[in-house]
Amino acid sequence: MESESPRLRLSILAIIVVSLFGALFARLWYLQVMAAPQFQDVAAANRERVIYEEAPRGRILDRNGRVIVDNRTSLVVTASPRQLDQSGHRNDVLLRLATALTDAGTPTKVATLERRLNDKQYSPLQPIPVAIDIPEALEIELAERAEDFPGVEVTRESVRAYPNGPLAAHVVGYVGRISEQELEARMGTKDNPKEADKPYQPDSDIGKAGVERTFEDDLRGQPGVRRIEIDAKGTPIRTIDYTPPRSGNDLQLTIDLDIQANAEATLSAQLDAIKGGVTREGTKTAQAGSLAAVDPRNGEVLAMASFPTYDPAEFVNGISTERYAQLTGGDAADNPFPNRAIAGEYAPGSTFKLVTAYGGLDRGLVTASSPFYDGGCLRVGDRDFCNAGKVAHGAVPMPRALTVSSDVYFYSLGQRFWNQRDEYGDGIQSAARGFGFGTATGVQLPGESAGIIPDPEYKRKLWEALPPDQQRKGDPNWYPGDNVNLAIGQGYVLATPLQLANAYATFVNHGQHHQPNIALRVLIPAGDPTDPRSVVKSFEPRVDHTVDLPDNVFEPVHEGLIGVASSREGTAYDAFRGFDLKSFPVFSKTGTAQVQGKADNALFVACGPDPSYRICVSAVLEQAGFGGEAAAPVVRRVLEPLAGQAQSDWKPGVVRGND
Amino acid sequence: MALSIGRSTQDLSRRDLSRRRDLSAPWRHIDLVLVVATVALAAMGTLMVFSATKGSGDVADTTYLKRELLWMVVGLGAMAGVALFDYRRLLDWVWPIYGLSLLALVLVVSPLGQRSKGAQAWFGFGAFQLQPAEFAKLALIIALAALLSAYEGHVDLRRLGILLGVAGAPMLLIMLQPDLGMVLIFLAVLMVMLLVGGVRGRYLLALLLIGVVATFGVLNSSVLKQYQKDRLTAFINPANDTQGATYNVNQSQTAIGAGGVAGQGLFNGRQTQLRFVPEQQTDFIFTVVGEELGFVGASVVLGLYATILWRVWRAAALARDRFGQLLCAGVLAFFLFQVFENVGMAMGIMPVTGIPLPFLSYGGTSIVTSFIGVGLVLSVHMRRFR
Repeated sequence: MESESPRLRLSILAIIVVSLFGALFARLWYLQVMAAPQFQDVAAANRERVIYEEAPRGRILDRNGRVIVDNRTSLVVTASPRQLDQSGHRNDVLLRLATALTDAGTPTKVATLERRLNDKQYSPLQPIPVAIDIPEALEIELAERAEDFPGVEVTRESVRAYPNGPLAAHVVGYVGRISEQELEARMGTKDNPKEADKPYQPDSDIGKAGVERTFEDDLRGQPGVRRIEIDAKGTPIRTIDYTPPRSGNDLQLTIDLDIQANAEATLSAQLDAIKGGVTREGTKTAQAGSLAAVDPRNGEVLAMASFPTYDPAEFVNGISTERYAQLTGGDAADNPFPNRAIAGEYAPGSTFKLVTAYGGLDRGLVTASSPFYDGGCLRVGDRDFCNAGKVAHGAVPMPRALTVSSDVYFYSLGQRFWNQRDEYGDGIQSAARGFGFGTATGVQLPGESAGIIPDPEYKRKLWEALPPDQQRKGDPNWYPGDNVNLAIGQGYVLATPLQLANAYATFVNHGQHHQPNIALRVLIPAGDPTDPRSVVKSFEPRVDHTVDLPDNVFEPVHEGLIGVASSREGTAYDAFRGFDLKSFPVFSKTGTAQVQGKADNALFVACGPDPSYRICVSAVLEQAGFGGEAAAPVVRRVLEPLAGQAQSDWKPGVVRGND
Repeated sequence: MALSIGRSTQDLSRRDLSRRRDLSAPWRHIDLVLVVATVALAAMGTLMVFSATKGSGDVADTTYLKRELLWMVVGLGAMAGVALFDYRRLLDWVWPIYGLSLLALVLVVSPLGQRSKGAQAWFGFGAFQLQPAEFAKLALIIALAALLSAYEGHVDLRRLGILLGVAGAPMLLIMLQPDLGMVLIFLAVLMVMLLVGGVRGRYLLALLLIGVVATFGVLNSSVLKQYQKDRLTAFINPANDTQGATYNVNQSQTAIGAGGVAGQGLFNGRQTQLRFVPEQQTDFIFTVVGEELGFVGASVVLGLYATILWRVWRAAALARDRFGQLLCAGVLAFFLFQVFENVGMAMGIMPVTGIPLPFLSYGGTSIVTSFIGVGLVLSVHMRRFR
């Protein structure tokens, strides 16, 4: 070209071309070389969805392998919102479905179905359960009229089954929909997610009470994981990979179903029989009671009962708010959900005398043979502390004081412990702690209470916690009377039935204190408890300390408590009339704890057979009268089969007896 | 035009017979590099369109493939025809061509035209559609080249006014459709041709300045519909996105990025095959290249475009006259802008406008006009010595 200008202009054009292509290559390099891994993650998240399938939970077995909690298949109607919409007849289909469900015995409104379908906890990719536990006839009907129900399907879901009904309800607990807090605790928050072996979804079930809760990690199955690929419209295209769900492990408990069934039947019959009886202090309401049985040799819990009780089957498809409110709304004593054997805190009454006696002998405050004159009452300060009915037992040595349950003897021990505290220390409190009172036993169950072993410091703290206007009426000081009350298990002292059984077990076990176990083994799914290859883990006995129990301490207490059932003077003599104590000697103690303005709580603890003990049982019947008349017959009946004795022709009700 | 081509081939064969050793015979100077690069791109484009449209079923959907192949054949034929036609003879036809293109643009916004995707831009013929604005683009290149070559580098304000008027008329008609992307292509062609055509630097700067001010003015006025403004500005301001333009670009960038160096393999791009990228056989065809063929394949495609642009630029530099040079510059501007805008959009550095990628995007008119563009350049290049 003739002039330079066009050349220059073409050069400018070339520069523009080169720079623009440079920009494109730079961007391409960034996207595909530098940032490719991030974009690959984004792309995967784009098209991959994970659908979880809940696995069946492990079964719960008794110590002999009998099934307490099983699974059954529940027929669940699901509806897929996407297919409903695509069918173009969403409303018609839902109306037909509601009608079919109602005809099949599940009254259902279209609005209810819509509410389920719009529930945010479900992924729109997932078929949403709209009706649970439908009859098989409805499944057949829905299948036959499939064209009337596009997007509606019947699936099978594994739910809990209770072949023995509500038996051992408080031990096994129940399963329910995971709460937001539980989900967050296990899966973390959106911003701070946690890795979980067995991930939970917002609609997952989780153990809410009992061993279902404490052994959740064992019982829960490994959810199945289906990774699917979806297209831009969210339509599933294919399954990328699938890991089928794996059942949770079976849990074998230490519970013996025979003992458990006998205990529950007896306790409930006895409560019913006592209900309505009248005492000086008030009507025996006998609303609640509980029982705990442990094996003193290893701390295994053999039975645990609590009344009133509930039916865990009510939770299978989710309990309604109304029903739950109905169960929990009334008198606290009627609330069926607390496991009173571990959560109920009771004044132990005379059953606590084991501890006081031990403390006195151990510290050398008394000897077995030194008698004390029981004139029916003991004056402490300006107050008389008397035996029940002011009965005077005369000169009583330690064993007899236990057999007849002389309050005065133990009042005096308590008084002397206080008066000579510089020399003998806090013998009662430290003995109590040695036997496991004042601390939760550590059994693998949720909601256990620690009980209370009071001392001067405890009383002061209690007073300090009071609002000022009530402080004026109260008193922060510990008096001899407080010690006297403590000596017979009254006043501030509180214990759970399991603590009582375990304390007696510690004694008959010559001081070896176990943390009780409720579980024996974890087994592979459908495992055989007798086959070692089935065992995932075993729970060994847990000895946490040993109480020093030399013969000079053991013998007098032993003699006294063997006499409770066997001696004519014993407070449980009548309750054990006809029981073959020769073949199955019973070491026991009655207790009657006063409750302000109400009928007494009846308590009884027994271990047998002496000297090779296999079981310790404690029973507490709220507002049921004397321990010897109301609680002892229950424990006797629980022991009968273990003693190899035919069940007596027993009629529930009180026997003659006291304390 | 058919007549002219016929005559030209007759000329050629006669000359061939008579002057066998004539080294200046035009076909001897054909730019094989340009032809090969073009054909290679067209082949890749066909493959990519098939990948984007075959669907996920067991039996591949070949509807698009068949039409694409047909258009490729038509395009190749058009390219050969135009190359053999002496571009200088176009000077006789400039105004009829320009006039016809304006008439077509008027007709397309009349009830004769068809509306699709928010723009009245097509004539329908059964299963096929023609987009007159694509042809108007070529007509404008020819008209501007004719005017600017006649001005011989002396462009005063009056002449500049004429040039702007010639370019403005089709642009206004296209705004009626409306097809913003096409208007932007016309603007790019106009600016580049003014630059190469010798318009004074200060006029060009002034025009650029007016362009910038006008852009802001348009964005703040009601000339554009809100969705158009949002689309244009979404790449700067993703939070303002109301039309899912950000979604498109995110999906497209993700697909390209996920391709990595080697790509996920032909027909294996997950984003592509699961249709996460909208318009992936047309405006977003580059994402299919990026995802399935990776950095390697995308570089080859960009490299082929660079080769074409280099050869077009070279043809402009070697052209024996101003008219030929300006034709090449116009075609260069058309390719450059469409490639940069389309690929830049797919990679998130340019705003979203519906502009096809020459030879790759599915669309008959776009393919044929791209081939004709190359044909024009070949024609200029072949005749550089005579």
